[in-house]
Amino acid sequence: MVVRDIEPVVLDLDRLEQMAKSDYYNPYTAFDWPEAIEADRPWMSESLTTLAGTEMWDELTRDQQLALTRYEAINFFSLNIHGIRELLSEVVMRIHERAYAGVSEFLHHFIGEENEHMWLFAEFCLRYDGKLYPAQPRLAAGSMDHLSPPARELVVFARVLIFEEIVDHYNAYMATDETLPRIAREINRVHHQDESRHVAFGRMMFTGLLEQVARRDPAEIPVIAEYLEDYLQYSIATLYNPAAYRDAGIPDALNLRRRALEHPARRAAHDQVLKRTRRFLNRSGVSVGGSAA
Amino acid sequence: MTTEAMRSVQEFILGRNPKLDRLDGDFDLIDSRAINSLAFVEFIFLLEELAGEPIDPEDLDLDDFRTLNAIEARFFTQKAA
Repeated sequence: MVVRDIEPVVLDLDRLEQMAKSDYYNPYTAFDWPEAIEADRPWMSESLTTLAGTEMWDELTRDQQLALTRYEAINFFSLNIHGIRELLSEVVMRIHERAYAGVSEFLHHFIGEENEHMWLFAEFCLRYDGKLYPAQPRLAAGSMDHLSPPARELVVFARVLIFEEIVDHYNAYMATDETLPRIAREINRVHHQDESRHVAFGRMMFTGLLEQVARRDPAEIPVIAEYLEDYLQYSIATLYNPAAYRDAGIPDALNLRRRALEHPARRAAHDQVLKRTRRFLNRSGVSVGGSAA
Repeated sequence: MTTEAMRSVQEFILGRNPKLDRLDGDFDLIDSRAINSLAFVEFIFLLEELAGEPIDPEDLDLDDFRTLNAIEARFFTQKAA
């Protein structure tokens, strides 16, 4: 691909590059994988499951609750894998484009680390549950094709950033949740550690590209804002996977999913997950909605 | 049942596209972006629920979702035939 009609992206990434080097670890040897994980412990923090805070959670048997934490952990890691796959491919295509020459060094760290995260998550899912949940269907037709080149580039990197910030909300909590099995806690912890650099980079990229859009055609900013708000909502909804409900032995999965997504306690939880990202976008001048905005 | 289900399908699409006031049976929902990439997952779940059959995300034929006529033929008339 050739990224035309955007100005070179110039960022001061020395500190992040140094950190990427000094924090580097070998994920293939860094973990002591137990043969099996305790079935009587949650694999995902109970307060982060998609039914938390609702009567739907209370109505489950304890076995169903624990099963839901297991399958939502597998779903969460599967979403990470598919999200990384999709976003990584966008970054790989840009790494030696002229416009990104100034950030190419950091992008090499980014790609390497994301590839390793993908392996970590897949190893957990395949080792302990024997499967990944499949990627959700997507349409290839781009709904951003009508935007200018810098606006399209902004959307690509905004999606990377949003994905990482949402995931990081979960990782940060689970990194210290002592109720989880050690290996689940560890994976969340190292991901949180690496993602803090990626989020810092993503915010700098976003700000740089947004300046280009604002200079060229500020009328595009509300269009981008609308798309990004949709993307926030979409990302949250992917956590509610009917296949995970079915695997946990919970009946009427699609109806349950709809009820859960609309539940006031869940809406408040969504706002909490998205609060940091919405605040950043709004302060940047990209007005996204929601009660936390 | 079919009519009721197709009404729900139309409501889903019109609800997300305030600029559309009606949908013809052969209107291309995908090329027109009436169903965009972000809404597609929700649309699949709606169809699963209405049709009462699972849709394998790894085995989709996009043409089954392109128009109201195609959706009706694929999900709501085959079973009756």
